[in-house]
Amino acid sequence: MRSLFAAFVTECLKLRRSRMLSITILLFVFIPLMMSLMFYIQKHPEIAAKLGLIGTKANLLQLGKADTEAYFGFLTQILAAIGLIGFGFVTSWVFGREYSDRTAKDILALPVKRSFIVISKLLVIGIWCIILMLVFFVSGIILGKLIGISGWSVEIITQFTYIFAGTSLLTILLCTPVAFLASYSRGYLLPMGFVILTMLLANFTGLAGVGPYFPWAIPGLFSVPAGTDGMQLGAASYIILIITSLLGFVGTLAWWRFADQK
Amino acid sequence: MDDIITTENLSKSYGEVHAVSELSLNVRKGEIYGFLGLNGAGKTTTIRMLLGMIRPTSGTAFIKGKKVHADNVELWKNIGSLVEIPYSYPDLTVRENLEIIRRLRFLSDRKSIDHVIDKLQLGEYSNRRAKNLSLGNAQRLGLAKALIHNPEILILDEPANGLDPAGIYETRQMLSNLSENHGVTIFISSHILGEISRFASRIGIIHEGKLLQEMDTSQLDRVSRKRLLVKAKNLKAASLILFQKGFNVTLSENEILDIRDKDAIEKPDVIATLLVNAGFPPTLLQVEEEDLETYFLRTIGMKGGVK
Repeated sequence: MRSLFAAFVTECLKLRRSRMLSITILLFVFIPLMMSLMFYIQKHPEIAAKLGLIGTKANLLQLGKADTEAYFGFLTQILAAIGLIGFGFVTSWVFGREYSDRTAKDILALPVKRSFIVISKLLVIGIWCIILMLVFFVSGIILGKLIGISGWSVEIITQFTYIFAGTSLLTILLCTPVAFLASYSRGYLLPMGFVILTMLLANFTGLAGVGPYFPWAIPGLFSVPAGTDGMQLGAASYIILIITSLLGFVGTLAWWRFADQK
Repeated sequence: MDDIITTENLSKSYGEVHAVSELSLNVRKGEIYGFLGLNGAGKTTTIRMLLGMIRPTSGTAFIKGKKVHADNVELWKNIGSLVEIPYSYPDLTVRENLEIIRRLRFLSDRKSIDHVIDKLQLGEYSNRRAKNLSLGNAQRLGLAKALIHNPEILILDEPANGLDPAGIYETRQMLSNLSENHGVTIFISSHILGEISRFASRIGIIHEGKLLQEMDTSQLDRVSRKRLLVKAKNLKAASLILFQKGFNVTLSENEILDIRDKDAIEKPDVIATLLVNAGFPPTLLQVEEEDLETYFLRTIGMKGGVK
């Protein structure tokens, strides 16, 4: 336990000094900001006419009634996509930087087990992602209030919170394969390429109707309203996602323990 | 003397490439073992195997009698290491980088950071981010990370890299002091042979993954080749006289007579007397002993050794 705590504290120290935390927070504020801007434009057609391209895009998005249901529905859909990329980026950075900064070799021959270093990195990633999710959530609510979205109710907020937390949790669980690829490739490029590929495939499999069986499509489908054909998650979906997460976790542990650290 | 580091037929292959082949060496308590080899000879691969970073294809490494493997974390408590160019977390300061190592080594004494900063003369830079350090100071920080816990064993890969002459001297003094006065066992790899010859008590020469030789540096005097160099105003006449007295004389490219006979090397005064009596007094009479670098090059079969 002492080893895990020491490893966890050092991971926090590394993160504290990095600009990455603040950059990702800004990004996770920027997206709801853009979203709310679109909704605001949608609500005010006279502004849309003046804004040219942005106005046209806002209209193209067909945000519907621009009420809380539409607003939060859109926000969770975006979270599913931005979560995959954002959380994947965070994971690539936490693991990949040890190799690109060539510091990995310095934390191998120490009295702390390598498995604790991996676990503490994953814990930091988990906490970081939860912070990003909360930033997204809170800024989404504040901005929604600010632009005067109509139809607020306790039920909608509760429903939104549930979907939001579920989507985030499922996305966070998918960080482990990214951690494995960052360790395996000793850097950022491969895991980031993988993240982008999985996002594309998530969209494709979603459209093809096999999304509930493709791990990276599952968080996005969690936020899809009930009753949408071919997009309903079942027990098998969650089992597939958990197995993928476990494989990523065990693979990362095994890589740090058994692979040659050149 | 106790063997602190032992390897038994340690080998590492990458496909057809044999990075290290059946390497067996012993490093004894308190000695400074200079591990010499050209770039790519297998030094770093060996060091990584000693630190459990690479799994040997065959053979075993032991430190203080315990088998080296990644899970044997107790082993690393008393070992300090520096592998290749030391890199630190670029956005963290010198002090913060050391704080990370202090925590991962469970050192409760926060002053251990101040002590090692003083020892490596990093005080001026303690609050500077690692990415803004010069190569020499980054190397000092690497050494500080290796020394923060006052280890019994130091495994250092090319620690003089990037250090200026003063830094090299200070590091040498520090390592000699640790070995002589604190009984620290030091395994140090280098391709800068002159540097190692100044303070290593034992050397091992690795070439193309094989340990060619292992010996005490005191033995170097016995195994290194010597020659007597002679210069005179009339080199031809001087050469003829020495030849007539039975000495095997060759004229080197830079117009110096080169004599390898044991009698001449042991008694250069006899040569001087001979030449003076013949009316060709020497203007230079010098016994030249092969240095470690020349000996090393000869051992690995490259040009540069005393032929």
